[in-house]
Amino acid sequence: MNTGAALPRHALWWLIGCQFYVILPHLTRVPLWVLAIYLGAALWRLQMHRERVLMPPRWLRLLLGLAAGGAVIASYQTLIGLDPMVALLLVASALKLIESVRAKDGYVLVALGFFIMTTQFLYNQELPVALYSVVGTLLLVVSLIALNQRPSASISRREPLLALRMLGLAIPMMIVLFLLFPRIAPLWSVPSKNTQATTGMSGVLRPGDVTRLGRSAEVAFRVQFEDQIPPQRELYWRGMVLNQFADGAWRTLGWSDHPATERKLDKPIAVGDSLKYRIIIEPTMSHWLYAMPYAQSPTAGVFEAWDFRLAVRKPLESTFAYDVVTWPESSLQPELSPWRRETELALPGNLNPLTREWVERQVNAVGNGPELIARVLSYFREQPFYYTLQPPKIDDDDFVDQFIFQSLRGFCEHYAYSFVVMMRMAGIPARIIGGYQGGELNTLNNTLIVRQFDAHAWAEVWLDDQGWVRVDPTAAVAPERVEQGLEEALRGQEGFLADSLLSAYRFRGVSMVNWLRLRYDAAAWQWQSFIVGFNGDEQVELLESWFGEIKVSWFVAVLLGSWAVVLAPLIWWMNRSRSSSERLPVEEQFAALCRALARRGIERAVGESAISLLVRAESELPAGDPQLITLRRLIVELYTPINSSVERPHKPQ
Amino acid sequence: MGIRERLNRITLRWLSRRLPPARSITLEQRRLFIFPTGAGFLFILTLFIMLLTAINYQNNMTYGLTFWLAMLFIVAVHYTHGNLMGLTITAVSAEPVFPGQQSGFTLRLKAGGKRSGHYTVYLEWPDAQQVVDVSVGQDTTITLYQTVAGRGWFHPPRLRIESVYPLGLLRCWSYAQLDVQALVYPKPLPASDTPLPRNDDGVGGVSDMRGLDDLAGFRAYRAGDSPRNIDWRALARGQTLQTRLYSVPSSEEHWLDWEDFDTGSVEQRLSWLCWRALRLDASGDKFGLRLPGKEIPQSSGDRHREQVLRELSLYGITGHSGEVVS
Repeated sequence: MNTGAALPRHALWWLIGCQFYVILPHLTRVPLWVLAIYLGAALWRLQMHRERVLMPPRWLRLLLGLAAGGAVIASYQTLIGLDPMVALLLVASALKLIESVRAKDGYVLVALGFFIMTTQFLYNQELPVALYSVVGTLLLVVSLIALNQRPSASISRREPLLALRMLGLAIPMMIVLFLLFPRIAPLWSVPSKNTQATTGMSGVLRPGDVTRLGRSAEVAFRVQFEDQIPPQRELYWRGMVLNQFADGAWRTLGWSDHPATERKLDKPIAVGDSLKYRIIIEPTMSHWLYAMPYAQSPTAGVFEAWDFRLAVRKPLESTFAYDVVTWPESSLQPELSPWRRETELALPGNLNPLTREWVERQVNAVGNGPELIARVLSYFREQPFYYTLQPPKIDDDDFVDQFIFQSLRGFCEHYAYSFVVMMRMAGIPARIIGGYQGGELNTLNNTLIVRQFDAHAWAEVWLDDQGWVRVDPTAAVAPERVEQGLEEALRGQEGFLADSLLSAYRFRGVSMVNWLRLRYDAAAWQWQSFIVGFNGDEQVELLESWFGEIKVSWFVAVLLGSWAVVLAPLIWWMNRSRSSSERLPVEEQFAALCRALARRGIERAVGESAISLLVRAESELPAGDPQLITLRRLIVELYTPINSSVERPHKPQ
Repeated sequence: MGIRERLNRITLRWLSRRLPPARSITLEQRRLFIFPTGAGFLFILTLFIMLLTAINYQNNMTYGLTFWLAMLFIVAVHYTHGNLMGLTITAVSAEPVFPGQQSGFTLRLKAGGKRSGHYTVYLEWPDAQQVVDVSVGQDTTITLYQTVAGRGWFHPPRLRIESVYPLGLLRCWSYAQLDVQALVYPKPLPASDTPLPRNDDGVGGVSDMRGLDDLAGFRAYRAGDSPRNIDWRALARGQTLQTRLYSVPSSEEHWLDWEDFDTGSVEQRLSWLCWRALRLDASGDKFGLRLPGKEIPQSSGDRHREQVLRELSLYGITGHSGEVVS
């Protein structure tokens, strides 16, 4: 076979189509000029096919490659990291297209296609991506078949069906390998997607940050409870702990901000009933995980930070699943260290004099205990505070003065901010907690869907003997926010979901759409808990539940055994003979007819020619006998090709 | 004898034992060899990189795709194998030719064994390559040309049958030593134009042998009539067997005699006789052949010419009782 064979024409079309298909989902991430390079390359290649232009000479191709590499470096300022590497891969595959004139170049393009598809998974492992990639795989396999057809053949319905059948047959063995292949630790550290911005809550909170999230219906995480789901008002998903105020923003304290003695966590004692649930969180690009306090996680790689948060060592770059056990009745940090007390009371300068004056008046009246908290909350409740996604912007160092005495219009972080400042003024250690509150219940699979607009900020205050206690000033202003969710709290207001105009969530009033939406969400949960949640521990657990204790010999036996079980039917299927309903070749029809004639007494002698048999049949059978007519037809079919070749004239030289 | 040569010889001997020559060869399990192509190795390399990506990023979807494609490769082994399995190659005919010409070997390919046909099958001889699709229930006839050597029987080399269909990741191949031979005539050499003995009682008439003239009529088939003269069109219409008759012009009669030439080697003599036979055949005259120990009576027509040329071709070649494959 000639390996230097030209790339078949229809294979070229398939390859260009496939390339476009695999590049498409990356376009949201790569600079637009990558698309321009791809389109230019495809156009050039098609013009080459029409023989309007020639393939650029080697030096020009080299130059183009170097220029594209330079452009990637210029765009990203670096070549390290996943994003620039993906961009480089896309550019390389586009340029490869220009010089793909041989069939063997086609294989390189297909290999690149598979690899580009893989890089998409590193960003997103959701169900739509999986479905998209299944179609992509099918298209690439059809391209492979197109590369191997006779040059004159064309793609019909047969090739996609063949690709579908082959891929289908590969699925059972794929599942076996997927379940059995040992999940080993990364072999080396890999470039990360460090160029992406944090999504959702971040470690810094300014008034207006949570408000912005209220405009998005994107899923932040999904939760599945082992037993009963607690009531909506108890669902506080604690994430950020913001303890330091400076320059108009609240910040979370890092590990290095703590003195050595404070870095160790004094574990709370687990008391009371526990809640067990599993969370699958979308990539956040930060270390922090969300859970209801006090939370512990048995999942490998999740640790408890000093302020009772759950965290992971590397920023979450892809969807992550973790199990949580929560003891709601445990008290957090019943003993407060002097450093901690100082930190959680610190307020810079002499800001907000009006508020300070008001707080001092209250402290003089009721002291700085739980009664003060009740006082402040009733102030929020009784004054005409208004809960809104579109608060007026306050550009003042004395934010709290402005807010609680003048504007009175704000979102959750405004209330939490003001409340914490008032507590600290009164001498009660307090801090802002950022996270999510509530979530939508999907009754189809009993999961809770928590979206970006469920983002919420509340406060934690430290009380003697009780430790850190959650106080949500927003609940005083708009109780429906914690009882029924944000949408109910904002009924009649603008701004909600303003950034998610086409989200299916907007159309949940239509019952059919809503059912489909929840059905899809249930499938997405299923997919994610399988695909994302399947790790080494899960694997060992699953295999142990099937086979008992895992031994190496067992493992090998199961691997080989399952291959045999899957392969044997496949081989049988491949080698089964044709069904009898199909048309038989002439020779077999002739043999069958000879057997039929023999039964009627006209037996074909050994070595007797077909013509001689026909002569005898003509003499013994009536002229219109159907078998006689068939015999004539078959003899014509059997002899004619030979005749034509024999009649080829022979010329002497 | 070099080691390489000896190895080659051992391989060939092993191959001919494993794949003995036959008139009709069906490709089955033990005849088929399979190995990844260059593209197959590229595919394996890609899978390896994808597996490393899956491990290092702990990405289950990448694991999934990698395993899916790896298993696709295994499935492709069976499909590529199955694409040749059951294919039957039958040597139908071989054209008799003059030395140095290309003989056309007609092969009939028949699909068998599995549901779909055989696609993009390469058939190769050193001089010739053809690519065919063989679909089920439809025999495909192809002609492969191969340059022949000297007078006598020409045995074509081993036929290589190869396919990488459907994915091009694996190459499946087999060798078929087809038991077919082409007759190679002596090389015609102009002979001195010595007057040939004449016989004057040439009469015109009707013959079942095709002469230069046109069709003269039909008669009922008689045993021994050449299949070439059967009226196939009538038979296809369902009529009875009939033989076409041709009118033969009156002609002179000659003898081609080995003894006419007393100089020259055996090959030269045969070449001269061959040249004369062709001349006489072209003129439509009747002629006969006398070789030591063999005589063909005077006659004319295609069949007679073939018979004469055949005798000349096989003169002195041991064990020539075999039939010309046709």
